[in-house]
Amino acid sequence: MRLRDCKEVLEMSEFNIIGKRVPQKDAVEKSTGAAQYVTDLKLPGMLYGKILRSPYPHASILCIDTTRAKRLPGVKSVITFSDTPQIKFGPLVDDWYILAKDKVRFIGEEVAAVAAVDEDTAREAIELIRVEYEELPAVFTPGEAIQPGAPIINPEYPNNVVSHFKVERGDVEQAFREADLVIGDEFYANQVYQAYMESMACIAQSDGRGHLTLWLPSQVPSKTRMSYAKALGIQPRDIRVIRPHVGGGFGAKMEYDADLICALLATNTGRPVKIVNTRMEDFEAGNPRVPMSFDLRLAFKKDGTLLAKDLKALAGNGGRTVYGPAIMSTACYRIDSLYRIPNLRADGRLVYTNTVPTACFRGFGNAQATFALESLLDMAAHELGIEPAELRIKNSFNNGDTSPHGWFISTSGLADTIEQATQAAGWNDKKRNKTTRRGIGLACTNHVSGNRGFYRPFDGSSAILRVGESGQAVLIQGEAEIGQGQNTVYAMLAAEAAGLRYEDVTVAQVDTLIGPFGLGSFASRGTVLGGQAVIAAGKDAKRKLLAEASSMFNIPVEKLDIREGVVCRLPEQTKMATVAEVASHYMFRQGGCPLTGEGVYVPDTVVPDPVTKIGNISPVYCFATHIAEVEVDTETGQVKVLNYFASHDVGKILNPVGLEGQVEGGVVQGLGWALMEDMVTVNGKVQNPTFLDYRIPGVRDIGKIHVSFVETNDPKGPYGAKGIGEPALNPVTAAVANAIYDAVGVRIKSLPITPEKILAALEHTCML
Amino acid sequence: MKRLINLVVNGESHEVAVSPEQTLLEVLREELGLTGTKKGCNQGECGACTVLVDGKPVSSCLVLAVSVNGKSVSTIEGLSQDGRLHPLQEAFVKYGAIQCGFCTPGMLLAAKYLLENRPKPSEQEIKEAINGNICRCTGYVKIVEAISAVAQGAAL
Repeated sequence: MRLRDCKEVLEMSEFNIIGKRVPQKDAVEKSTGAAQYVTDLKLPGMLYGKILRSPYPHASILCIDTTRAKRLPGVKSVITFSDTPQIKFGPLVDDWYILAKDKVRFIGEEVAAVAAVDEDTAREAIELIRVEYEELPAVFTPGEAIQPGAPIINPEYPNNVVSHFKVERGDVEQAFREADLVIGDEFYANQVYQAYMESMACIAQSDGRGHLTLWLPSQVPSKTRMSYAKALGIQPRDIRVIRPHVGGGFGAKMEYDADLICALLATNTGRPVKIVNTRMEDFEAGNPRVPMSFDLRLAFKKDGTLLAKDLKALAGNGGRTVYGPAIMSTACYRIDSLYRIPNLRADGRLVYTNTVPTACFRGFGNAQATFALESLLDMAAHELGIEPAELRIKNSFNNGDTSPHGWFISTSGLADTIEQATQAAGWNDKKRNKTTRRGIGLACTNHVSGNRGFYRPFDGSSAILRVGESGQAVLIQGEAEIGQGQNTVYAMLAAEAAGLRYEDVTVAQVDTLIGPFGLGSFASRGTVLGGQAVIAAGKDAKRKLLAEASSMFNIPVEKLDIREGVVCRLPEQTKMATVAEVASHYMFRQGGCPLTGEGVYVPDTVVPDPVTKIGNISPVYCFATHIAEVEVDTETGQVKVLNYFASHDVGKILNPVGLEGQVEGGVVQGLGWALMEDMVTVNGKVQNPTFLDYRIPGVRDIGKIHVSFVETNDPKGPYGAKGIGEPALNPVTAAVANAIYDAVGVRIKSLPITPEKILAALEHTCML
Repeated sequence: MKRLINLVVNGESHEVAVSPEQTLLEVLREELGLTGTKKGCNQGECGACTVLVDGKPVSSCLVLAVSVNGKSVSTIEGLSQDGRLHPLQEAFVKYGAIQCGFCTPGMLLAAKYLLENRPKPSEQEIKEAINGNICRCTGYVKIVEAISAVAQGAAL
């Protein structure tokens, strides 16, 4: 296995563009303010929509009076449930209506909506709508919601349990009986908000004949059409989604009810309608992280060999279901591909509560479970008297291993990332020469690059590379750039595979009328699945260019190659023509049809069996090790992160600058979760729905971040690469918790690790 | 009741009819079509709407347009000159300081103010200058690097 830093890769590279520090394709237009986001777009005749949201966490709707709102000058449409198609739908569970039917289940649920000539008028009209509610008993935490006699939120789920996931391998009871050490504890990963800078937004336009165009900042532009078509009672072909620039997503920007409200208002009025969440609406009715509590037990031999894991999870779904079931099951068993544990049991429940619906946030349940497992492993290392890094290396998965759930780990750089991170951090020295109130903590993670179970009909990706008469190429695909630099990597891969110059490749914005069905940005899948499709498209274009050049010059294809936009003759590398000359020759011979490479990638992933849960959800698996070095002020409880070291098995470095950016961003987002961020909710009402009260890290909240990479060159990755988005965040909370324990000897098991919790724990320790 | 005000935006004079409660952000985006200035929270807490008024950074969502009558406003659209990127823009691009790009315009204007008033800032001073500008994508590392590079006159 090769360990290289970025500089070495550059020197050793057999590639033209792969491995180089390439700025984002669209960075220039973003730097000048020219980049247009949905919030920036304005169509002629456009109206503005506003949503009336429920002020109650659980209430029956007795009646709605919209008369006054409808009379307000400038109001063009007012809608309630009776104006909607009245079809139940949802991305996983059909517990959504576009507007509330006869009751509301969370504060912020959509009750009515207005389209008006401007935002002020729309807001005023919303205030004129009278709704009579009858409050119902409500329940706010999963723990309360599963108690017998708790108020029922959805009558179809009489004990409030939306989904129940169970899996068992080996003989867990026996392993616990025979273990030298059994250790267990309870952990809590709280609800946090993605805090993308562009709030949720939509523009919808109807052509009056049943066809809709939606401009969405969506992570899943093609897939949304499927659930939206069902909700609207139309066909997916009747919905066109255009995705302009997106101001961040982090998992939140998938199916969102306001898009459908916008579509109905546009259909009713025959005019384009724009809805943009205020920041407060976005806090109160966005798609925040699924909160989870864990009861986790581990069994070890005294030499540190892991024998068994027994996990109970209780997760909060909120008032209706977004992606909670998949996120809860992920928390139950994705982490079982991190360490070799032969005996496994997980029992997870996802429970309705009268709070905001919860959804995807970088890590997708695995981040929550990683906090629990990596904290408990640290506690076990202490009990066993084994060095924490050693304990992890001892149990790590290796190349070619298959997890007990059937997941095939073609390459694992876990042990190498532990080695690289501990070396970078000076781990051994710092462990030996401890300074008062300073501590160092380590945590590992695994993750997927794709999720075969997420969308049942298919897995994979496709791309079209169109080479025009001037040698300029347009890459058309359906995956979703949301700021992570995906289009840049795609342009690099296309250029590399086709032999084009990087600057000649443009990546088209996603438009579902034109491009392939891309599953989109989730499960850290873009680089691997989309990337493989782009390479295939590039290769196909190259094959066609070579065939054309072969007939132009009467030279066998094998004697020709294309590099950097030039067709040359082998072996002497004589320049024969530019790609532009060959592509225009092709085009004019073909009645103006441009030379087009088509690429398809269908991975050999396996949908988990619904009963046995055996499957193989990702073509490649990612691994990482993070180390936090902190200083704890024992007077105030404040934690300062002095240094942070992150080592990632990325398979192959495609664009170092993009990779570093993903890791640095993921680490800081994780530090926010670890130390600062919490959606404080009292009786179903978010108490801190502003950036002033819900603090996310600012530039002064972070210490020095050191990023390094391990290259495992996975045979299934694009040129060997793996995904990066989510693993960058997963281990942060545990690394920080472990460092705090190392610093001051207190173990905080619930997030976020606030000064109050640290002071309370310190006080408790002193009293003992 | 609308009032006529005169705004000098990026050196160009505009006569605009504004209502008393309209913010500078709304006037820039809705009346003048300068959508490079972003609305992140509309509460003065995120910095995405930062512009310079008479050379000083303000959250344009908190400034009433009428109060800027006769003043000079610099927005992101005026940062590049004659089609040439400002050194800060070049550095942001080159160093990977831009991901989703939504915080970028405000961040660049805050940095511009810093370098105009403190050409050789320390890292601490850079951090203080952009502390009011939230970025959720980059973790700030490359933003600080980019500003430092310009301050140190690095070849871009």
